[in-house]
Amino acid sequence: MMLSTVKPGTIATVAALATNNDAIVKKLLAMGIYPGVEIELERRFPSYVIKIGRSRAAFDQQIAHYIYLRPCDC
Amino acid sequence: MNCHQCRHTCHPNPSKRRPPWWRWSRKQKLPRSFHLPQALPKIALVGMPNVGKSALFNALTGSYVTVSNYPGTTVEVSQGQTVIGEQVVSVVDTPGMYSLLPITEEEKVARDLLLSTAMNLVIHVVDAKNLGRMLPLTFQLIEAGLPVLLVLNMMDEARHLQIHIQTEPLAAELGIPVLRTIAATNVGIRELKTTIASYVYTPQLSATY
Amino acid sequence: MSTLLSYPQPIEQAVAQIELILAQETERLLPPHLPLSYRSLALLLLQDDRGLWQQLTVSDWAYQQIHAIIENMQQQLGESPVAAIARTRQQTARQLEQSVLSEPATTQITIAERLHQLTVNPLTGFPILLGILYFGIYQFVGQFGAGILVDAIETAFETYVSPVVNHVTAVLFPWQPIQDLIANDYGLITLGIRYAVAIVLPIVATYFLMFSLLEDSGYLPRLSLMLDRLFKIIGLSGRAVIPMVLGLGCDTMATMVTRTLETKRERIIATFLLSLAIPCAAQWGVILGLLSQRPLALLIWAGFITTIFLVMGFLTAQLLPGQKADFFIEVPPLRLPRLKNILLKTYVRMKWYFWEIIPLFLWASVLIWLGRLTGLFELIIQGIQPIALWLGLPAASAPIFLYGFFRRDYGAAGLFDLQQQGALDGVQLLTAAVVLTLFLPCIAQLQIMIKERGWKMTLAMATFIIPFAFVMGYVVQRSIHLLGVNL
Repeated sequence: MMLSTVKPGTIATVAALATNNDAIVKKLLAMGIYPGVEIELERRFPSYVIKIGRSRAAFDQQIAHYIYLRPCDC
Repeated sequence: MNCHQCRHTCHPNPSKRRPPWWRWSRKQKLPRSFHLPQALPKIALVGMPNVGKSALFNALTGSYVTVSNYPGTTVEVSQGQTVIGEQVVSVVDTPGMYSLLPITEEEKVARDLLLSTAMNLVIHVVDAKNLGRMLPLTFQLIEAGLPVLLVLNMMDEARHLQIHIQTEPLAAELGIPVLRTIAATNVGIRELKTTIASYVYTPQLSATY
Repeated sequence: MSTLLSYPQPIEQAVAQIELILAQETERLLPPHLPLSYRSLALLLLQDDRGLWQQLTVSDWAYQQIHAIIENMQQQLGESPVAAIARTRQQTARQLEQSVLSEPATTQITIAERLHQLTVNPLTGFPILLGILYFGIYQFVGQFGAGILVDAIETAFETYVSPVVNHVTAVLFPWQPIQDLIANDYGLITLGIRYAVAIVLPIVATYFLMFSLLEDSGYLPRLSLMLDRLFKIIGLSGRAVIPMVLGLGCDTMATMVTRTLETKRERIIATFLLSLAIPCAAQWGVILGLLSQRPLALLIWAGFITTIFLVMGFLTAQLLPGQKADFFIEVPPLRLPRLKNILLKTYVRMKWYFWEIIPLFLWASVLIWLGRLTGLFELIIQGIQPIALWLGLPAASAPIFLYGFFRRDYGAAGLFDLQQQGALDGVQLLTAAVVLTLFLPCIAQLQIMIKERGWKMTLAMATFIIPFAFVMGYVVQRSIHLLGVNL
């Protein structure tokens, strides 16, 4: 499932970053978003806001399409 | 396109920074190509945006650089001086960087500084409560063979969240010194200066003359 | 080398090979004494670091070898080396963090956390945003800074300083031109210093105080994420909100900050909009003061400039080729701003700004003096007069546009003087305000534009902006007359 299709409040594990855009991959990696990591989707509007560990990041729908999730390991 | 890029490499281009004729009372800022005083030992502050680098810079040098809680407001490299023991040391504050592999121009500025200038000490400033997310950059700096010191800043916020960090095992594992600070209120700065001292009192300095 | 990290085997193997090649290239490698280790350089090259490729000079042989190694590694690895390397580092980092860091099992919800939710929830977030704009910007900067403070300082200056300066100069220098250089209508002190200290300083100081407060509290990234969707329409991302908001303080500073935008396209659009439709604090402060007696004119001005901002942004985004901007930003926790920090930031920005403008204001005074003395200004002003008349403005407003060339706020301050004399009616004030807002940025901003975007781009923008500003002034003036609106 894509991050852009799950409900706010979902906690899930990142399965893949599906884009060829290097700059975006590098940014996501730098924030600690990579396969195997657990994230929580806080909201989808006006921007996507996710929580990862003790940090938080916001991004647009386009980037949310690139993040594939699988049910949380927790 | 090409020309646009070449202006951002580390090649000095002093002509660009000459103050215009009508500007008679302007203090010279450090150019984007970095002309640091040759003889002084140099230390650089690096780290992700929003970890208190500029606050630490202020605490160390006593000079005023804007302190920001917004990622990406330090766009220029600021340079100041501090006295460690009896040694005057040049301190450079860099724009925020996430990794040695730059994405934005600011990150490239920070990386190119490390690539072009030999530093006596590189201080990696991290937000203590987000240690895990910031360690990858510490690894990269160590990998690069740079003399690295890790500073766990914003300890007050970490403490507020009841986060405790054992620095000794961390230092042992990384093989570099690890210190705690609260730069905004000058906590831990004296210890930091003591540690810096051992890096800047090196005999190789006189050899460069 | 560090034993801390070991990457997947294909990467380690490739790194070792590239290290060897780099070591053989030492003689040719430029720059010769790189402070970074070969291992580090090899890892960067593996991750396709184009900037590094541009800076390293290696032989063709080495170049080809390294590329072959990278290709081979990629086949074996089966995924992006950037991802594999980052994952190794992050996993090691997490393990290390777990071994040294302890935290409470349950995290209590703090006030900062609740506030964060309020600021990003559209239901509460947009009202908060509007509240900040209304109270922080309109009330504090507009009414207090540009109104009360400017009035107080202006009056004090006119009452205590100007007469003394005029008198002393008249006594000391019997020669009229020297008197005019220092005092009287266009003197260094009575015009240059007065504009800078009495009109510009209070407005800019209150604005920077507000901006620093927002910055220190951590609100700005939230502002970005709230407005990202809106900014996408004009070809920008939420990240560009910051330069735009900073531009409402000082466009020069803001143009410099466009460097934090990620694509060249975004930087061009932002620079263009900053120079066209974002008035700096000194400018909108003065205009607010001018139009405060005429709320309808103020509303039309604000609406018109906002429309131009959106429409021109939209059109530029349509016309300019290139990739659309992505939006990704780290959102730090909200925190109680520290007074010391805020004052320090405001002080630093003020200092920067002041040293930037004082010389310009003084030089402008000197140039105006010289221009008037030689009669050159008369000539230029005569050239502008037809345009002013075409816009339905009195001939006496022509100098404002000339001064506007030196600084937009200088022009606005001149408008302020003219209005004080009661020389302009509502439509004329509105027309002049529109033209001055859209008009070419001040000299300092122009310089930064050239530095950041290059000559050609700046020239192209200027060539568009100058006629556009006048034409838009004309459009406003004609429309108001045709609609028969009474301002």
